[in-house]
Amino acid sequence: MSWIQQITSRLRAALGKRQRDRMLDEELNTHLALLIEQNVERGMSPEAARRAAKLSLGGADQIKESVHDHRGLPLLETFVQDLRFALRMLRKSPGFSAVAILTLALGIGANSAVFSAIDAILLRPLPFPDANQLMQISQYHLKEKNLNPFVAPVRLEDWNRMNSTFQAMTGYYAEDDSEISGPLPEKVTIAFVAPRFLQVWGIAPALGRDFTTVEERFGGPGAVLISRRFWENRFGADPNALGKKLRIGRFALTIVGVMPASFLFPNRDVDLWSPDGVGGPYAQNRDLTWYTIIGRLKQGVTLAQSRANLATVQSQLGKQYPKPDADLAVNVQSLKEIVIGGIGRSFWMLFGSVSLLLLIACTNIAALLLARSSRRQHEISIRFALGGSRTAIMRQLLTETFLLALGGAALGLIVAAAASQIFQTLAASLPRVQQIHLDATVVLYSLACSLIVTFLCGLLPAIRAARKSIAVSLAQASFTQVSTRNRLHWLLVGVQVALAVTLLAGAGLLIRSFQELGRVSPGFQPDHVLTFHISASYGETTDLKAMTQRIDRTIDSLAALPGVSSAATSATLPGVPSESPQEFKVAEGQTDPNRKIVSDSRAVSPSYFATMQIPLLDGKSCRELPSGADVLVNRSFANTYFGQSNPIGHHLSVVGNQYLPLGEIRGIVGDAREEGLNRAPGPTVYWCISGAVPDPYYLVRTLGKPMTMARTIRERIRSIEPTRSLFDIVPLTEHIDQSFAENRMRMVLLSLFAATALCLACLGLYGTLSYSVAIRRREIGLRMALGAVPRRIATGFLLLGLRICVIGCAVGVTLVIAFGRVLSGMLFGVSPTDVVTLAGVIFIMLIVAALASLVPSLRASRVDPMVALRYEE
Amino acid sequence: MITTPKAEVLQGTLDLLVLKTLDTLGPLHGFGIARRIQQASQDALLLNQGTLYPALVRLEQRGWIRSKWGISENNRRARFYSLTKAGRKQLTVEAQSWERMATIIARLLVGAGEA
Repeated sequence: MSWIQQITSRLRAALGKRQRDRMLDEELNTHLALLIEQNVERGMSPEAARRAAKLSLGGADQIKESVHDHRGLPLLETFVQDLRFALRMLRKSPGFSAVAILTLALGIGANSAVFSAIDAILLRPLPFPDANQLMQISQYHLKEKNLNPFVAPVRLEDWNRMNSTFQAMTGYYAEDDSEISGPLPEKVTIAFVAPRFLQVWGIAPALGRDFTTVEERFGGPGAVLISRRFWENRFGADPNALGKKLRIGRFALTIVGVMPASFLFPNRDVDLWSPDGVGGPYAQNRDLTWYTIIGRLKQGVTLAQSRANLATVQSQLGKQYPKPDADLAVNVQSLKEIVIGGIGRSFWMLFGSVSLLLLIACTNIAALLLARSSRRQHEISIRFALGGSRTAIMRQLLTETFLLALGGAALGLIVAAAASQIFQTLAASLPRVQQIHLDATVVLYSLACSLIVTFLCGLLPAIRAARKSIAVSLAQASFTQVSTRNRLHWLLVGVQVALAVTLLAGAGLLIRSFQELGRVSPGFQPDHVLTFHISASYGETTDLKAMTQRIDRTIDSLAALPGVSSAATSATLPGVPSESPQEFKVAEGQTDPNRKIVSDSRAVSPSYFATMQIPLLDGKSCRELPSGADVLVNRSFANTYFGQSNPIGHHLSVVGNQYLPLGEIRGIVGDAREEGLNRAPGPTVYWCISGAVPDPYYLVRTLGKPMTMARTIRERIRSIEPTRSLFDIVPLTEHIDQSFAENRMRMVLLSLFAATALCLACLGLYGTLSYSVAIRRREIGLRMALGAVPRRIATGFLLLGLRICVIGCAVGVTLVIAFGRVLSGMLFGVSPTDVVTLAGVIFIMLIVAALASLVPSLRASRVDPMVALRYEE
Repeated sequence: MITTPKAEVLQGTLDLLVLKTLDTLGPLHGFGIARRIQQASQDALLLNQGTLYPALVRLEQRGWIRSKWGISENNRRARFYSLTKAGRKQLTVEAQSWERMATIIARLLVGAGEA
């Protein structure tokens, strides 16, 4: 032991209780001496003087005790004492302790696990300094239904110059391109960023420097910041990577810095950031929009103020440039809200259910404690007899519960630690799911949980046990008890069953929704389709003809591969939500001129329909035209907007988009659930343009398993496009699967919670019934001695258990009907009060409850009549 | 010897007595306080001197008195208590409320006697 430790430990002891006791002793001694002197002065004999003084002062130990009570320290001292005693009590009944701790570990652990996800995804700020100041700013058209949120670079510069509520604004767009300085093209995700990019984030490069103003200028020297991951994979984290050049398409970009590992914006895959010259001639067109805008609010500015400010700015721009700007409005949203999206509801639903689970666990423990404390009546009444106060006994019992809860929380942390793995396995595509991990917040939360649990399940049993009158009477009555006096026990069992039924019904509804989803006929055939991307740059849009030719050539080459039956491109994936509604006009005039034609708009290659097996119902299939475009519409579009008349031969144009050619409706195809299997197909317009974007999804229908073709396809692309990389090779079914990741996560987790709840409720039923049988042994023995049939006794107990269960089910179903709304929007093909599901849940509950009641009931029927006599003693 | 029955110190009044004693006599040790209270009451109060010490701890915790070790008149080490500023304020408050109470009770008793 070092001398520092020695000194501190001595100091602590000196300052502690012993020191104060010694000082009090001295004080009392002085008092006594003075008192004796006074008595002697009054003429008493020394002996009498001493006795009288002692009498008048009182016992030194008593004084010390009561002084202690005033010092505020006895609380801690008795707590330690209580803790020690509780530990001994729990060790004496290891079975009880193990069951209680395991139950609470399940409850608290599941709760902490869900909380850790909520904390990481919903509560924690984004990983940037003062992240609550970061806003996403978008424009929207006042007259047209056009969801394009992107902004022209020149408008970004106007906003940034004219507003008074933002420190700075910047913009970016990202694309997947290839880096071609190595032997093979390497797919990179590159973000082209407007000036002030790092300033807005408030983040500096971990190595190297930010872009210079010269580099940010159009036509300036090419510069690039690289991600930490790219730096490690490509350069082995070599600091000499700075100054090296990367080749992207025609451009050579010099590496000027490495960003910190935590900086993953716009997405997790990002590799490179490079300045996008806002001064370029293209960027001056107020109609060409491609930027996503991020701004950082000034200190103390509210969202509403910034919205008002930008509205004023935009109206000024509207006066200056009436052509596009007068019809535009600005929207400001917190960036965090955008990143999280609509995921919050699922998590709060899960949190609600996991809290119900914890409540069930607590109820279970409360019932266990009640049973236990009535077994401990003897001990408790002795403590009363020896002068223990009510509060002291309650404190003692609560300390025992707290110890159990603490044990549960500690074990539960293991469950919580596994949470990150669980969530990533279940739904890796969720935003921020990588950030779920066990940290101090989660540990604190678990601790808080155990405190709440202590009072939730410990208070009632403690109050009951510490009732003096009952304690005394029960101490005698426990052996002679005849009737069921355990109404409270049964109430607790009923609560557990009701809550378990609620959770089971929720899980059942989600499972049924998933089944319904599997039964849907999507209108296209997603099996045996392989999807992938081929790297490309938006720079290619300067020569649309060449780009379209390249894509068509690739499609033809893929379709000619052995083992491939057809190949196509589509700007969006079939069966995965993309939200692409647009407003159309019919050149020949509309049936109802007042009705707006709003429809999904998808750009696909002519071979798309054969590849996806969407049937042509009427007219001709479409062609890829050198100018103009062919259009197919689905049946829903034809029925909704043309009614009885035939749409074929009419021409469509997109309102507000003068770049798209007039499209001639060539034919009508079948309805397909393009926007997700869970959405009824709406009106859809298919533009037959294979190269609507430089990097469309390639869709290849294979004869065998899709992934077995991956290698062949890779080799073919390498031979025809040596400077491009092929990436994200995934079967279409997997994409569709991924789009239901959130649904699957809630279904799996809720089912897990419901199953646990079912087990706990049955455990509760079993325990309470067993207890009831044990306490009524004498009564049963007596009845047997009087000639009762064992089978009837067993049936009696079985029915007792089932009756509570039925009442619990009824309450549970009422709860489901009352709170089914919570699930609406998460269900597909079933109503929240689906009779089949509810009946199934009740059936399962009753079966399991009957099984749980069987053992104690049989035990009751085997009671030996002799116990009736023996127990009398 | 003693013929008149002694009155027990009323609950809650011990604080007032201690504060008043320290106010009149200045710093005193525990025995001094007890002696003064008994002298002033002409031995009519039955003070269990032991109860004085928890009261002193309580008053010190509230910041109404402070203590310092010193030497008593018979050359023993003793703890001397003295009134703080907050204690002086508290004394006026408690004295006033005591007087009010005493007046009310007196009035009640007089009224009861007349009826």
